[in-house]
Amino acid sequence: MKGTELKQEDLEGLFKGLLDKKAVDCLVLPHKVGNNVAYMLVKDGDKIESPAASAIFAPSFGVNAANIVKGWTIPERVGIVAKPCEIRAAIELIKLKQMDKESVLLISADCSGAFTNQDYADHAGEIGDWVDSAKINELKGKGIAIREACAICENRLADVGDIIIERVDGGKVLVAGITDMGDEALSSTELSLEDKDVERQAEKEKIAADAKKEKEELPKMSSVEELEEFLRDCIACKNCRDMCPVCYCKECFFEQPLGKPVGGDLLNLAELRSAIGVPTNQLLYHLTRIYHVCTTCVGCGACEDACPKDIPLTRLYPLIAKKVQEIFEYVPGEDAEEPLPFITYEEEELEDKLR
Amino acid sequence: MEEAKEGFEPKIIGFTCNWCTYAGADLAGTSRKKYPPNIRIIRLMCSGRLDPMFVLKVLLNGADGVFIGGCHPGECHYIKGNFYARRRIAALRTILKQFGLDDRVRSEWISASEGDKFARVMKEMAEDIKKLGPNPMRDKIL
Repeated sequence: MKGTELKQEDLEGLFKGLLDKKAVDCLVLPHKVGNNVAYMLVKDGDKIESPAASAIFAPSFGVNAANIVKGWTIPERVGIVAKPCEIRAAIELIKLKQMDKESVLLISADCSGAFTNQDYADHAGEIGDWVDSAKINELKGKGIAIREACAICENRLADVGDIIIERVDGGKVLVAGITDMGDEALSSTELSLEDKDVERQAEKEKIAADAKKEKEELPKMSSVEELEEFLRDCIACKNCRDMCPVCYCKECFFEQPLGKPVGGDLLNLAELRSAIGVPTNQLLYHLTRIYHVCTTCVGCGACEDACPKDIPLTRLYPLIAKKVQEIFEYVPGEDAEEPLPFITYEEEELEDKLR
Repeated sequence: MEEAKEGFEPKIIGFTCNWCTYAGADLAGTSRKKYPPNIRIIRLMCSGRLDPMFVLKVLLNGADGVFIGGCHPGECHYIKGNFYARRRIAALRTILKQFGLDDRVRSEWISASEGDKFARVMKEMAEDIKKLGPNPMRDKIL
């Protein structure tokens, strides 16, 4: 891969360059809002705040950035600077034909795990803009823990998208293109690029091993009764669906008469079963949604953040999705050219999974 | 409890494809094979038409078992419908397994000439589900 090492404060120059040289028409990137971090869509490079690095690496998760560009089918090219899980979601959306591959430039930045937006704002001083795993453990000791979805995330290093921003020793960053589109965009910014190859396999394996350990410690469900209890507080607001980057139907089944019965339909159901719980269909909704996102779920945990009733949905969606992804040996968001598991097949496969 | 299980006749919902398994069921009937009358068949044009939500819905609505039947892989009337179905069923079963629901779901490839196999599978399935007992979802307020 071709790239260059930059000082952190040179990052805003890079983003400005991408905009000025028309490598992208606009850019979605995080910026600081008071103590917190939020995304903005920038047209004019002068609006990029300095230092850009402090917002990009700030360990705060509010909304999945892929959600912002979902449905971006216009020819104007948008660049997204986000965490690997968000870029992975964007790649899944390209496969799901929810945006055009040519009109998004995906830039992923290293992540060490993030705090919820609220936790980050409350403890911004202690957490800071640049955390590593040692710092995260130290904060955990003080009772400030990263999101569960981040604790079990095996893909925190930037290795997907068109351009990657890696953190390297000495507080510097390595910017490199990993696709032709990324290379083109980077070379248009007049940076002097050279061949770079950073070996991070050992770090990657350590992250994955730690994440697996964390995952094993999570409580598991084993019966539908336990699922019922788990979802006891669900009010069927469907915010988990709305905030999910890879849930994309124009009209969800659970907004249609069969999925969301009203009036006579509701009364008929009650008559059929003598009594029904209302709002209806929580169990069917969540089970169906697990199936719908089971191959594409990137495990970002946006569903859990979105739940107004604080149901720990990370223990439901990413955990079960991972099991399904394992049988197809599929990792979501690796490569925009790889077909989704449900639109391809092998002639001989999976027979042992059918009974 | 045991007594209740004794007299328990499970309700099994079967989703079968028009070209193979449904014809297989037909053959079982016309050749006077005996099998338990617990299955209610819903005929689909292809096992690829099966939306996994159908299975989730019938299970939550209290069906004691779900049977899914299709042509043998490679013999689909629509060439590749059952290849897609196989992936979906595998994913669905992986999910159901997490909640212990997969015991109530059985999928088999049964061709139009396999009336014997259809009758045998029905017999086995009725016995298996009888052992499991009624679906606890049946009487729940959902």
